[in-house]
Amino acid sequence: MGEKILYWMEELGEEHGDIVGRKCANIGAISKIGLPIPPGFALSVDAYREFMIKTNALEEIKKYLQKFEDGLKTIEQFNNASKEIRQIVEAKEMPEKMKKEILENYKDLSLRCGAPDVPVSTRSAGPKSHPGQYETYLNVKGESELLEKIKKVWASSFNSRSLAMRAQKGLLLESDPIGVAVLKMVNARCAGVMFTADPNTGDTSTMIIEANWGLGESVVGGEVMPDIYIVDKESEKPIKKTLGKKNKFIKASEKGVVADDTPEEKSLAFCLSDIELKEVVKLGKALEDNFNVPQDVEWAVDDDLPFPENIILLQTRAEIIVVKKNPVDQIADYMMNLF
Amino acid sequence: MLAPAYDLSFYEFDEENDPKNYDVLLCDLVHGKPPMKPLYIGLGWYWYYHGIRFGAETFHLPTSHGWDSRFINGYPYITAIRTTEEERKAREPIFKEKIKPFIEDFDGVWDPYKQDLINSYKDARESRGLKEWEDIEKLSNIELLSFFLDFAYVLNRKEAEIHFVMLMVSYYIGSLFQQMWKSIFGVEAAIDPKFSKVTAGFESMAVKVVRDLWFLARRAVELGLNEAFNTEDNEQVLQNMETSDAGLQWLKEYKEFLFEHGWRCERMHAYDTPAWVEKPALAIGNIRMLMADEVFAFDVAKSKVIAERERTIDEILYKVPVGQRETFKLLLKAAQKASYWSEDHTYYCDFYIGAMGRWIVTEFGRRFAEAGCIDKPEDIHFLRPDEIRKAAIPMGKINLRPYVEPRKKAWQENLTIDPKPFYGDINYAQAVLRSDPTLFVSTQVPIVRGELKADLYGAAAAPGLVEGVARVIMTQDKLTELKPGEILVAPGISAAWTVSFSVISGLITDGGGALSHPVIMAREYGLPCIAGCVEATTKIKTGQRVKVDGDKGVVYILDK
Repeated sequence: MGEKILYWMEELGEEHGDIVGRKCANIGAISKIGLPIPPGFALSVDAYREFMIKTNALEEIKKYLQKFEDGLKTIEQFNNASKEIRQIVEAKEMPEKMKKEILENYKDLSLRCGAPDVPVSTRSAGPKSHPGQYETYLNVKGESELLEKIKKVWASSFNSRSLAMRAQKGLLLESDPIGVAVLKMVNARCAGVMFTADPNTGDTSTMIIEANWGLGESVVGGEVMPDIYIVDKESEKPIKKTLGKKNKFIKASEKGVVADDTPEEKSLAFCLSDIELKEVVKLGKALEDNFNVPQDVEWAVDDDLPFPENIILLQTRAEIIVVKKNPVDQIADYMMNLF
Repeated sequence: MLAPAYDLSFYEFDEENDPKNYDVLLCDLVHGKPPMKPLYIGLGWYWYYHGIRFGAETFHLPTSHGWDSRFINGYPYITAIRTTEEERKAREPIFKEKIKPFIEDFDGVWDPYKQDLINSYKDARESRGLKEWEDIEKLSNIELLSFFLDFAYVLNRKEAEIHFVMLMVSYYIGSLFQQMWKSIFGVEAAIDPKFSKVTAGFESMAVKVVRDLWFLARRAVELGLNEAFNTEDNEQVLQNMETSDAGLQWLKEYKEFLFEHGWRCERMHAYDTPAWVEKPALAIGNIRMLMADEVFAFDVAKSKVIAERERTIDEILYKVPVGQRETFKLLLKAAQKASYWSEDHTYYCDFYIGAMGRWIVTEFGRRFAEAGCIDKPEDIHFLRPDEIRKAAIPMGKINLRPYVEPRKKAWQENLTIDPKPFYGDINYAQAVLRSDPTLFVSTQVPIVRGELKADLYGAAAAPGLVEGVARVIMTQDKLTELKPGEILVAPGISAAWTVSFSVISGLITDGGGALSHPVIMAREYGLPCIAGCVEATTKIKTGQRVKVDGDKGVVYILDK
């Protein structure tokens, strides 16, 4: 494999992280083991490279950066450089051949979903996992909007914190090729995250699932207090269910997404039924079996599909587990470096 | 050559060796201006240093053995006895074990300590049969001397050691919590309204005392004594009370209150300002201010403050990465206690011990002056503890003037001197300040954000937004000038100023950080407050309209 600018998710597997970015490779891997993902495709890191070279953006960025003889240092410099460079990237017209290939596949995706101009999400996928580093755009509809948002995802590899991080690590500033995942938007009734082992303690006998109404971004971003389910992995039964306040939720709007107040009767109800919860847990166990390490998963319940097909996985990655240390020891450790 | 320090060798500055040993010594203007008098420096202030060393050595602070201090031209200079790299490594594991019980159960340590302190103070007076302030005059010279030595070496030592063990740990907890806050939420904790909210709503002894004052105010209304307060002269109020049975009853209750809770002086340890229990007129102004309140302002705010605290905790907890949540929760709990302690301890530590000292020292001053050892009772403040010992028993035979006069002259000259900000190499200032939480926390600076175009930026804030007329008040005795709804502008405030909180609508101070009295107390009362502005009392004039934005931590002067 290699050289291609676009792959359908089902063509991909865990081993393709360097070609399409870790996130796309993992989504491909989920689909390969027969678990449900939204239909979609990935733009490879080569697509990024090709775009930057063919549009001359790379040269312009290099030239811009040459102005800083001592390199970028202050936060203000990073902010300004980020603004300039992102403008350079976003202003470029997509090369004809690339545009054609992306739009043909978008048409295919729309056909597969049975709707013209199917709404999609465009998410960045770095070759090494940098969670939350780059931007994501949700509910993107129509050809020109799609092309626009793909460019914006690419341009977000020049956001200030990424520039600062590359400078700190001594990496090249002018380029950081990333993949882009283009997936059909799930009409999420509710969504959230799942940790297949307790991230606080590393306990692998329990799973933790957090859920809110609407799209999962409210849970990922910590915007609300979600419902929390602690589940015994073996029996797949909840040990503890905590009702979250869920005062806000995120939903698709005409273009993009908006946050809305949750009606009271919904904020007082759990998002997941017991059988849905069990299905989410089953999927988590299957993921963990496949990847062999605890997983940090994003999932959604599709309002347009019947159970159990409505439980969909959006992404998965190896879970970061805090070293098994009790909070008092942790605090005492932090204190030693305070003064 | 050693610089003279009122014959107190502990503090004499060795110009050659001290800067070499400590790199830099920094002038402590917060405590040092106006210059302290020798008795305070030799007694109360000494125990401060002992307490800080005791705290640092008990915990095995990785970075410091405590403070050292010198007096130059009458001004205190502070530095840290920093550890070497090897010492640091050896102390770290011990420090961790020592500090853990405080993180796990802060009150479990503090509650028995404060009980122990109160019992010690009460024992000291009850065992001597002292039931009223004036009773001290009945003690024989040897009884008074014994009381003095008990105070100087037993009570002060206990108070200082408990005080600074608790202070160290509360600063460690507070500073770590602020650091964690910034790294998780990306906002400076000290000026984040949410930070204020999650630590509010814990009732300290400072509040309990004001509630008792308010109760006395209500009691006066109930007994139909409102008219007794219709004079600005607080002594006159007391005299008015003596003209009726109801008034006498009220006075009795007031004196009971004072003997229980009136152990406080404006200059806490300096022994040179009267205590409430000594001069009952002192708290009358406070009671007058509270008379208009049919309900106690703190109690009105309290349930709201607590509800807001719990709501805010729910709201922020889910922004904390899952893996850090348990740690964050435990640290939050400890930080709430540390913040509340900051107000609570003043009653049990600074106020009580300072007023006890005032009691004994004033009585010795009276006896020495009467016996002809010194010219005036106040001259006692220019003596050292061993000189008091020397003259106490051969009462009247020792002339103490040769000690008093040169020191008094030096002190008066020092009053006119502008102290040098430091001795040694100022480049080491950060290293010194960063080596010890008790140094670091007391030196926070305004967080300037030019884009807000404010007139003053605070180092810390309590949330809320208010506009009003400013009143600049430099000393506590002027508090009664405040009109309802005004915004109080002060150099700094101690717990003794809290009584004004039911009158004012906002607060601005020159000094203070996130753990300072103004911020913590304002938070409890739901008052917007900006602390640590440095130049508030110089930039703002009484009568000007100002806007206090406690949510952003800035002040705008509206009519310049």
